Amino acid sequence: MTRSAAVAVTGLGVVTSIGTGCQTFWESLLAGRSGFSRVTSFDTIGYAVHMGAEIYDFCPQDYVLEMDPAAIGRTSQLAIAASRLALLDGDLDLSEIDRGRVGVCVGTTSGEPHSIERFDDQYVQGCVSKIGGEFLHGYPCHVVPFHIAKEFSLGGEVMMIPTACAAGNYAIAHACDLLYAGKADFMLAGGADSFSRITYTGFARLGAIAPEVCQPFDRDRKGMIPGEGAAILLLERSDQALARGARIYCEVAGYGLSCDAHHMTAAHPEGEGAARAIRMAMMQSNIKPHEVDYISAHGTGTPTNDRLETIAVKKVFGNHAYSVPMSSVKSMLGHTMGAASAIEAAVCALAITHGCIPPTMHWQHRDSECDLDYVPNVARKQKVRVAMNNAYAFGGNNSSLVLAACADSNRERP
Amino acid sequence: MSKRVVITGVGLISGLGESAALLHQKLCAGTGGLGEITEYGPQGFDSQPGGSISNFAPELYLKGRTLRPLDRTGRLFASAAKLALESSGWTAEYLATHDVGVVLGTMFGSMHTISQFDRQALVDGPSCVSPMDFSNTVINSAAAQTAIWHKLRGINSTTASGATSGLMAIGYAADLIQCGRQNAVLAGGADEFCFESFCGMERAGLLSGPSSKRGCAIPFDQRRTGMALSEAAALLALEDWESAQARGATVLGEICGHANAYNPAWNQHGRGQEAISRAMQGALDNARLSAAEIDCISAAANGSVADDKNEALAISAVFNGQASRVSLTAIKSMLGETLGAAGILQSIDFLETMRTSVLPGIAGLAQVDQELASLNFCRQPKFLSARAALINGVGFDGHACSLIITAPPQA
Repeated sequence: MTRSAAVAVTGLGVVTSIGTGCQTFWESLLAGRSGFSRVTSFDTIGYAVHMGAEIYDFCPQDYVLEMDPAAIGRTSQLAIAASRLALLDGDLDLSEIDRGRVGVCVGTTSGEPHSIERFDDQYVQGCVSKIGGEFLHGYPCHVVPFHIAKEFSLGGEVMMIPTACAAGNYAIAHACDLLYAGKADFMLAGGADSFSRITYTGFARLGAIAPEVCQPFDRDRKGMIPGEGAAILLLERSDQALARGARIYCEVAGYGLSCDAHHMTAAHPEGEGAARAIRMAMMQSNIKPHEVDYISAHGTGTPTNDRLETIAVKKVFGNHAYSVPMSSVKSMLGHTMGAASAIEAAVCALAITHGCIPPTMHWQHRDSECDLDYVPNVARKQKVRVAMNNAYAFGGNNSSLVLAACADSNRERP
Repeated sequence: MSKRVVITGVGLISGLGESAALLHQKLCAGTGGLGEITEYGPQGFDSQPGGSISNFAPELYLKGRTLRPLDRTGRLFASAAKLALESSGWTAEYLATHDVGVVLGTMFGSMHTISQFDRQALVDGPSCVSPMDFSNTVINSAAAQTAIWHKLRGINSTTASGATSGLMAIGYAADLIQCGRQNAVLAGGADEFCFESFCGMERAGLLSGPSSKRGCAIPFDQRRTGMALSEAAALLALEDWESAQARGATVLGEICGHANAYNPAWNQHGRGQEAISRAMQGALDNARLSAAEIDCISAAANGSVADDKNEALAISAVFNGQASRVSLTAIKSMLGETLGAAGILQSIDFLETMRTSVLPGIAGLAQVDQELASLNFCRQPKFLSARAALINGVGFDGHACSLIITAPPQA
């Protein structure tokens, strides 16, 4: 793999249950705040679990200024908000650049789930005749990046990569490739998902939802807590970012994607595919295991995920695995599905910038099979030059992204 | 130096058969492939042209294991993938030592499974749903199921952009090969025919309507009233040229260029032409070809009143005075709109056009719309020694994607 240029992260926009905007979000992470509460967006009577991580203080009209917020779905609203915040954070004035060279690449699990949930409500009530044309214009998942492009009048490549719970990483990876290839000057890349009845029902049926809190890597962990959110990263080539004097959070040094080709919902029992993705990401970034200062874990809090992710990390890092701090912010904001890995990429960028690692909250008991350093309960001040962002999805899809401090990734590439 | 991307195999499940040769033969013969959608009468829908592939039998392609974990989109895509693997010569031995990637383009993915799962929870209660169905509610389930079935361990991704999704998948896969991330990728598209997509399209006014009420889904025809919704899955086996040469593979063609465009100013009342022009010009630029070097165009036109006109005007603009020289066909006249699979079927048929030197005509085209630019609409099959084609995809909401396929590179 040869690369002509690195990609810089120059703006961050996040919308989560523990804060909107990267400043508030980061303070919440360091303080260990949780966004869990009883689900209100639909009735959970008949479910064995009732907790979720919904966002309550989100006002779409604060961010959706050009389009009619009421005419688009909640995932689009969240994604537009994250995009606006990323542009503001990156101090990019769109009126001064060629908008035809600004692209959008977004990942999701469900797209606009409320649209099909309303369809289903009408169907079971025998009111198919009430379904109108807005269903087609509002539901297909590609509308999310299209709406971002519409809101900001962007004419570059617009893509949706709906690869479920690892989608944010996939979208960021592809955006980097488009920038390397010179197909865009700027990319808004990330992920978005709104709270979905369908997703909640499925994970509840699998017995994968925790009754109270999400406690990744804890011996007594009981599962994940579904959430919602969005994160968009403003990406551009590093040489361009340096030339225009932009603040650079970090660079995307490389990525690895792999498929277990094993089972739809169960990961490979030895973490084979996950380990392969980690190795590919490190090889492409020219990073050695001892150079990784922080791993942002997929860490959903389900018994299997956390065990297998630990195995995969040990497989690649060997004994050094015990010296790499690895935390899961899902312990605070739940599993935000397609947005999760994009939010966690933002966490890596913030950790590199601030020299601090967010904790894995609600960790109480050591598990003999999860025996790494999970940064339990208290944020840790520590220099982070290289961070790895892991995300896994249904279908055995594995993704790892390497983010590195700018000076550090100027090294010669293989 | 970026790598050259070649096509070393194809696979398809369509209303006009499961082999490229048969598809091409039927398209050239003009013998219809569209059925009639009659099943939604009880919900208040008139019958109209289109519908599912009635004789699809996945067990012919996916043998030895239970098909239960796969929904219809998954079965269509995995079956077409099986045919593409056979066609490319990516045998089990090859797959044991090479990581092959999968890129799926789909508009709706597993929408039917998603909706059915949700409705079952509403009617029977949340504890009565099937965990197996839940695993298929992710939009990328068809790509994942295909990888699991055929043991494809490379990059597994899905892209969605409406009716342009399949061509987007080809572009995405070509990019992965070009920059050296993957040597071999199965890329293509799939969308099943289901009530949910039918209902959405019908309510949005995109379907032709019943022929008894003068409904007509013939591309570019004066009488056209909308499209016929249908289903298919189709894939190309894409490979970097050096690897293909090294293993002595038969090369069917080259992905020479691709581009896509979205017009943020698009709305339901117009501005549809700009994105189509930009995608076509972008693909030409990407391929470093001029419009004069294109021998034929496979249009996305599907009978849509507005989009067919936009596409015709865009072609006229990009080919700037030379459009009457370039033969233009539109195979959705017989296949209907197969969404994610559409652009791939157009690509596969162009490979057959190169092989046989016959370009299929636009079946049923009687009176060309007077308002359309004067293009070289090919009404009957014709002899054409073609070496380069422009394949168009046009979405329903302001997106377009174009691909340029050329004859195999000379060693």
